[in-house]
Amino acid sequence: MTDQASPIAREEEIQKLLIGEFPFLQDKVRVQRPRRIFATTDAQSFEPVFKFAIQKLGFTILCTITGLDNAATLGFIYHLARQDGITLNIQFDVPKENPVIKTVTRYFSCAEIYEREVIDLLGAKVDGLEEGIRYPLPDNWPKGTYPLRKDWKENT
Amino acid sequence: MTALFNMLIFPGFLFLAVFGLFGEYIDRKLYARLQNRVGPPWFQPLADLIKLAAKEDIVPEEANPSMFKAMPIFALTATVTASFYIPLWKTGALFSFNGDLIVTLYLLTIPTLTYFLGGWYSTSLYSKIGAIRSLTQLFAYEVPLLMVILAPALLANTWSLSEMALFYSIHPWYWLFNIIGFIISIIALLGKLEKVPFDIPEAETEIVAGTFTEYSGRLLALFRFSIDIEAIVGSALIAAVYLPFGLGLGGAAGFAIFVLKIVFIISILALSRTLFARLRIDQMVEFCWKYVSPFAFLQILINLILKGVLAR
Amino acid sequence: MRKVVIPIGPQHPALKEPESFSVTLSGERIMAFSARLGYNHRGIEKACEERTYVQDVYLIERICGICSHAHSTCFVQAVEEIAGLAVPERAQYIRTIIAELERIHSHLLWLGIAGHEVGFDTLLMYTWRDREVVMDVLAALTGNRVNYGINTIGGVRRNISPDQAKDILKAVDTLEERTKYYMKVATEERTLIERLAGVGTLSHEDAVNLGAVGPTARASGIDRDTRRDDPYAAYGKLSFKVITDNHNDVYGRTLVRCGELMESYNIIRQAIREMPDGPLAVKAPRRIPAGEAFSRYEAPRGEDVHYVKANGTEKPERVKVRAPTLANLQTVEKMLEDGQLADLPIVIAAIDPCFSCTDRSIVVREARKRSRNILKWEDLRSYSVEWYRNNRGLDFSKLNRKMAGRLL
Repeated sequence: MTDQASPIAREEEIQKLLIGEFPFLQDKVRVQRPRRIFATTDAQSFEPVFKFAIQKLGFTILCTITGLDNAATLGFIYHLARQDGITLNIQFDVPKENPVIKTVTRYFSCAEIYEREVIDLLGAKVDGLEEGIRYPLPDNWPKGTYPLRKDWKENT
Repeated sequence: MTALFNMLIFPGFLFLAVFGLFGEYIDRKLYARLQNRVGPPWFQPLADLIKLAAKEDIVPEEANPSMFKAMPIFALTATVTASFYIPLWKTGALFSFNGDLIVTLYLLTIPTLTYFLGGWYSTSLYSKIGAIRSLTQLFAYEVPLLMVILAPALLANTWSLSEMALFYSIHPWYWLFNIIGFIISIIALLGKLEKVPFDIPEAETEIVAGTFTEYSGRLLALFRFSIDIEAIVGSALIAAVYLPFGLGLGGAAGFAIFVLKIVFIISILALSRTLFARLRIDQMVEFCWKYVSPFAFLQILINLILKGVLAR
Repeated sequence: MRKVVIPIGPQHPALKEPESFSVTLSGERIMAFSARLGYNHRGIEKACEERTYVQDVYLIERICGICSHAHSTCFVQAVEEIAGLAVPERAQYIRTIIAELERIHSHLLWLGIAGHEVGFDTLLMYTWRDREVVMDVLAALTGNRVNYGINTIGGVRRNISPDQAKDILKAVDTLEERTKYYMKVATEERTLIERLAGVGTLSHEDAVNLGAVGPTARASGIDRDTRRDDPYAAYGKLSFKVITDNHNDVYGRTLVRCGELMESYNIIRQAIREMPDGPLAVKAPRRIPAGEAFSRYEAPRGEDVHYVKANGTEKPERVKVRAPTLANLQTVEKMLEDGQLADLPIVIAAIDPCFSCTDRSIVVREARKRSRNILKWEDLRSYSVEWYRNNRGLDFSKLNRKMAGRLL
C-alpha cells in the first residue's frame, strides 16, 4: 500500500504525464480507482500514445485487447499493465464500415492472438498482421458473419 | 505322446497361460497397493482377455492384413517355444542341447521383432513411431542381456541352459559371483517387456499406444497374452541362470520354489513400474550403452577370471 | 530422415481437452509446431450479454472446472467496481480462503498430470489421493467439489463456521506434510528429474517478449504475481512470498508450483486467523449503472483478466475474458524448438493448459433462414473427406465410398 498523501498519487502522475505529452488527451484520461486508468483517444493518435505508454511510462505488459460493438463504430481497448500493478486501458473507435486497425505485434508479439480474436469475432481488419491460422472460429464458419456484433443473434 | 502333453499342457502352453495370467495379476495388484489403491481381483487378467477376444478385429485399410494378423501369433509361439529350453524346477529342461542358450535368447527376441513388424505394417503414424522405438530399444538392452546371460554360462563351461543349471546346483554359492549379472538382467528384462522406465515404445501419453495403436479385438488379446507369458518366460530364464536354488529337490517343493522365484522377479518388475518415470528413448539408449553395458562386460571378465582361478 | 507430420489432437491421450497440434518430426526431433485452437469455444462472452449479471456469475463460473472461483471472483470484482459496492471484509477473506484452496487443488492436480505425462503414474495416484483432502474441505464449505458458487455480486453466499475453520486448518496441516514429500520426490527422484530438467526451456527474455504469465513465467525468473502487484480480495492485508525460479524449464515450473503450494498453506492460516466478523454481502442493485471496469486475478495458471462494460440495464454491455492459458500458449512453440516428441506432452502440460478457459465463444449451430443447418450423416462424411484432402493431403474418398455402401 502506498504511503503517499493521495492513494492515487502515482496514477495522477501518469495522468499528468500523458496529458502533458498529448494535450488532446485533456479530459480523456480518467483515474477510476487506485491502479486503474482509462484513456480514450482516436484511431490516428492511438499509436503515439501507445508507444509513449510502453516506452516512457513503463507499461510493458499487454494483458489483452478487447473489441466492442458500439453501434456505428467498433471500439478497441488495449489493456496495458505495469510491474507495480497500475493498468492503463486505452480505447479508440473506428467506423464499422471500414474497421481497420494497425497491428501492435511489433511491440508485443503476444498481441497476435488477441488481434486474431477480434478479426474473427468482430470482423475487424488488422493492417500489418501476416497471414495465419484463424482463432477461435472453425474453417466452415460463414463468411461475413461476426458473432460478437450486436446484430448477430443466436437462433435456437 | 508325453512330449505333446508336455508342450501343450504342462509345463507347456496351458500351464504358461495360467501362470502368465497369474503373473499379470500379481504385477497389477502389487502396483496398485504400492500406489495406495485397491487393485484388480484375481480373475481380472482373464476377464480382460475374454473381453478383448470378444471384440471386433479392426484391420486398418492400409495395413498388410496377413502380416498384421500373423504377428501376434508369432509372438505367442516364440515365447512359448522359448520356455521349452529353460529349466524350470528341475535341472533339466523339457528339451536341451548344447547351444540352446543362444536359441532361447533368439526366440525371446522374436516378440520384439513382431512388435516392430506389427507396428510397421499397421502403417499408422503412431504405430510407426512406436515400432521404430521398439527396435531402437532392442539395440540398447539386447547386448547387455546377451553378455550377462553368457557370463554364468562361461563359468559353467557350457552352452546349454540345462547343463548350466546342473553346474550351479552342484556349486550353489557360485551364484554370488553373478550378482551384477542378475541386476543387469532385470534391467534388460524391463526393456524387453517394455515396462516403465522402458515402456517407451508404448508410451501412452505420447503416441497413443505405439505399436499396438491399430490392434484391437482378438489380435490385441493375443499380443497382451504373449506379453504376459513373456514375462513368465523371461523371469524363468533369469531364475534359471541366476537363482539356481532348489533345483535338486523334486516334486512339490521344487515346484513351490520355482513359483516363489518367479513371483519374486515379477515383484521387482512391479516395483520398478511404481518407482520410476518413463525415460526418453535417447536417455534409455545412453543409459544402456554408457552404464549397463560396461557392467555387463565387467561381469564377463569376472567370470572369465574366476573360471581360470577355479579350474586349478 | 524424412520429415513426418503427426497430429496431436484434437483427441489424444496426452491432452485432457481438445486442441489440435500439428507436429513436424524428423525422427524424434520436433522441426515445426503449429497449434489450432477453438475446439472448446462455447459462446460465453456473447451469452453473457444476453443474461443478467446474476445469471452471468453462474455462467462465468462454468468457464472452467478447475479455475471456476478465479473467473467468478474476477467477474464479480469488476461488476462491484462499476456499481461502487463496498464488499464487506469478511467476504473478502472468505473469497481469499476459497481462492487459495482452489490453488492447492489445482496445483496438486497438475503434479499428478505431470507425473502421468512422463509415465510416472505413482505420482499421479498419490497427488490425486491428497487432492481428495482439499476437495472434501471445499465440498464441506461450499457444497460442491468444483464450481463452488460461493460468490455473489456484493459478497459471498456462505459463511465459514469456526468448526469448518478448524477442519480447514487440519487439512492444511496434512497437505503440508505430503507436499514436503512431493518436493523431496521432485528434487531427488532421478528419472523424474531426467524427464523434467532441460525440457521445454523458455529463456527469461522469451518469456517477457511472449507475454507469459503465472508459474510458467515465474519459472523463467519473471517476478510477477497479481496477488502482490495488483492486490484484490484480502491479499493486500496478507503477507506471502512470490515464488520464482531460474531453471527456465519444466523442472522449474514444478518447483514453482510446489513452492506456491507451501505459500498457499501459509496464506490460508493467516486468513483464518485474521478473518474479521461481519456481514457476508451487501445488496447489489439489479441494474448496474453505466461504467466499465478491468479486473485482474491470479488464477492457479496465471493472470486472469476480465473487462466488463455496463450500460445501466440488468444485462452487461460487454464481458471480455482473457484466461491465462491463452497468454501462455504462445510460449509453447518457443519451448518446443529443438525438442523431442517424447517431451511434447509434458511441455504442453507444464503451462497447465486449460483450454476450456481459453476458447470461450462459439455457438455450435448457425441458423440462417428458417431451417436449421443440420448436417446429415453422408454430408458430414463428405465434409470430412473434403477437409482431410485439403488440409492433410489424405484422400479417403475410396474408403468413404466403400464404407458408405456397408452402412446403409
